[in-house]
Amino acid sequence: MPARLRQKSPLAFLQPYLLIAPTLILVLMFNVVPAFRTVNDSLYKPARGLNAAGKPPDYVGVENFRDLFDDSHYMGGRFLRAFRNTIIFALATVCIGVPLGLLLALLLNRRQPLLGLWRFAVFYPSLLPLIGAASIWSFIFSDSIGLANAVLKTFGHPGLNWLGDRNLVLLSIIIVNIWKQAGYFMIFFLAGLQNIPRNIYESSSLDGAGPLEQFAYLTLPLLRRTVLFVVVISFTFAFQTVEQLQALGEGGPADSANLLLYLIFQNISERRNWGYVNAMTIVLIGVVLIFTLSNFLLFERDETNR
Amino acid sequence: MALRQTAIVLLVLIFAMTVGATYAQDEIVIDFYFPSATANDAEGIFQGYADMFQEENPGISVNPVFTGSYTDTRNTILTELQGGGAGPDVAVMLSIDLYSFAEEGYIVPAQGFIDAMDMGSDYVGDFFPSLMENGVDEMGNVWSIPFQRSTPILYYNADLLAEAGYDSPPTNNAELVEIAQALTTDERDGLLVPVAGGFPIWMYQSFAIAFGQNIVSDDPTEVYFNTPEAVAAVEFVRSLGTDLGVGPAGGAAWGDTPVAFLAGQAAMIYHTTGNLTRILNDADFEVGVWYLPSGPAGEDGTGYGAPTGGGNLYIFDDGSKSDAELDAIWRWVMFLSSPEIQADWGATTGYIAARASAWETEPLASLAEEHPQYGIARDQLQHVGKEFSSYATITIQGIINGTLESILTGEAEDAQAAMDEAQAQIDGILAEYR
Repeated sequence: MPARLRQKSPLAFLQPYLLIAPTLILVLMFNVVPAFRTVNDSLYKPARGLNAAGKPPDYVGVENFRDLFDDSHYMGGRFLRAFRNTIIFALATVCIGVPLGLLLALLLNRRQPLLGLWRFAVFYPSLLPLIGAASIWSFIFSDSIGLANAVLKTFGHPGLNWLGDRNLVLLSIIIVNIWKQAGYFMIFFLAGLQNIPRNIYESSSLDGAGPLEQFAYLTLPLLRRTVLFVVVISFTFAFQTVEQLQALGEGGPADSANLLLYLIFQNISERRNWGYVNAMTIVLIGVVLIFTLSNFLLFERDETNR
Repeated sequence: MALRQTAIVLLVLIFAMTVGATYAQDEIVIDFYFPSATANDAEGIFQGYADMFQEENPGISVNPVFTGSYTDTRNTILTELQGGGAGPDVAVMLSIDLYSFAEEGYIVPAQGFIDAMDMGSDYVGDFFPSLMENGVDEMGNVWSIPFQRSTPILYYNADLLAEAGYDSPPTNNAELVEIAQALTTDERDGLLVPVAGGFPIWMYQSFAIAFGQNIVSDDPTEVYFNTPEAVAAVEFVRSLGTDLGVGPAGGAAWGDTPVAFLAGQAAMIYHTTGNLTRILNDADFEVGVWYLPSGPAGEDGTGYGAPTGGGNLYIFDDGSKSDAELDAIWRWVMFLSSPEIQADWGATTGYIAARASAWETEPLASLAEEHPQYGIARDQLQHVGKEFSSYATITIQGIINGTLESILTGEAEDAQAAMDEAQAQIDGILAEYR
């Protein structure tokens, strides 16, 4: 067999294609084709009115997108709110969750008693199924019977309406998300930290560098690949958030904590909204793609310059 | 050797296919999808009903499929049908799903089957008229048959009311506020109305109806969301959490409400009859149940009003089903809506049995005698109005819920302005159907 292959059969050029075919077919079927269909369908409004199922959709160009960015439109008002919330949510997760994960990793990267237990305790939230964890939080945040308010009340505070106050509910969901993900990010940072050779710290101490200087001039620069990776995944995770909302008030009240993907999910069941659903999906993918690509481009350039 | 094995496999396959084909020819299989919003063993109960039905109807078998919540059920069915799948033959879906499914052409009216019956009008006449409303179109055709129906009712802690000197529950919203204020303490809310958490429309409708104008009519292209009554109703609900101070600002969350009531942290609550059995079982105080006193006193001094809720039986056919299949499907619908099954299902779950005769049938008859609270929900049916349903129901319901939430949480201070804007959006959508 191998001998025959080496003779370069006329079909040999097919071999690499055959080998990637299974993956390629799946990617085409489940990623590329649907993506192009979504782009196409976002330019149509489905038939509305009676017996809509049998009628063809109307081509409307970019009207779906225009409606989305029109605050007085029934879908536009909701979309703009969810879009703004998603950006706030993503930035908060990245700006608080990632440094918190790094801080936890630094704290748990030294020899101390019960180290395994601490690490497990911090990592534990990431092991919980998200919908279950969010349900626990819905109890904690409950207005009348919740743990959070019970604690506040022991300090004489009347308690907060965590999931009912429109100014608080997005914050509540951000808290749950950070709690859930900080431990997960910590694992990446911990792995990164353990790849840094000990001896450079020793030599820098001999040179008189304190812990803060070591962190700023050694640890952080050497962790930059990990930081970039964690920032990218935390940002994309933020755009994929659905479960927390399902358990914690479904994005309400009045969409004050609604996020893009959940809004898409909420509107998928009525035919008349399919055009908007496709258009929202395009916007969502677009934002994530731009962010991710720009990060990787910066990262790649950095690597080649080194 | 290999040849022989292949031959055996082929023979087995052919045999299996022949058996399968004969089986399919002789037996009609009804796919029945049902949601469950209660913690009971719905799957076991429906399998039991299916077995009973099969015994009475040889040659027809029922395949009960549990499909999650109402929303999951709706989405499962839509996904299957929109993707070209077979979907169910009969399903329990919200009574307000009528126009969404009729619009798509997936369901057929029950009217044709009723007309073909000997005593069709007696059959329909046995159902409580207010429970039929959501299943009938503007031409008077019956589409779906009431199955597991509910309404919101007032639950009150009779011990607390008695301590404060009230022997009877409130009968209008002035009394409601008076009692709620008397029973509000630092530790306890006087009244919880679960309008927080995504779905205020149902509870809100109680107030709109009691203030004198339901937000829907028999015409699925008309919605009345910015009438003076509709505005006054939402302003009253908002004031419960603000000026009147008998509950949390913005309203209570759906799931917390019965928990707080059972824990003695709320003296009165609005909640569904679907929770009646659980609340009666779990309360360590005397639970009173009454009609919802949501509106100002009328001529007789009362101000009652509530919407209906819950699920109906729908028949699915795209025109491809044979007469024999349709006959079997209708038999199953008749079976599930029979007084015996209605009485059994109502007694097990707390849903309101939808037919008058079911209340004279065991086990419901003795249960209602033992716990008069079950009868209150039924008697309230004289004061109820249609649950919100129109063309584009989901989208319009979303607009109404969003508007109500922004008013109740104080984001939109001017209720009239917010409701005018919503009404304009709604009319824009409904214009396509007029």
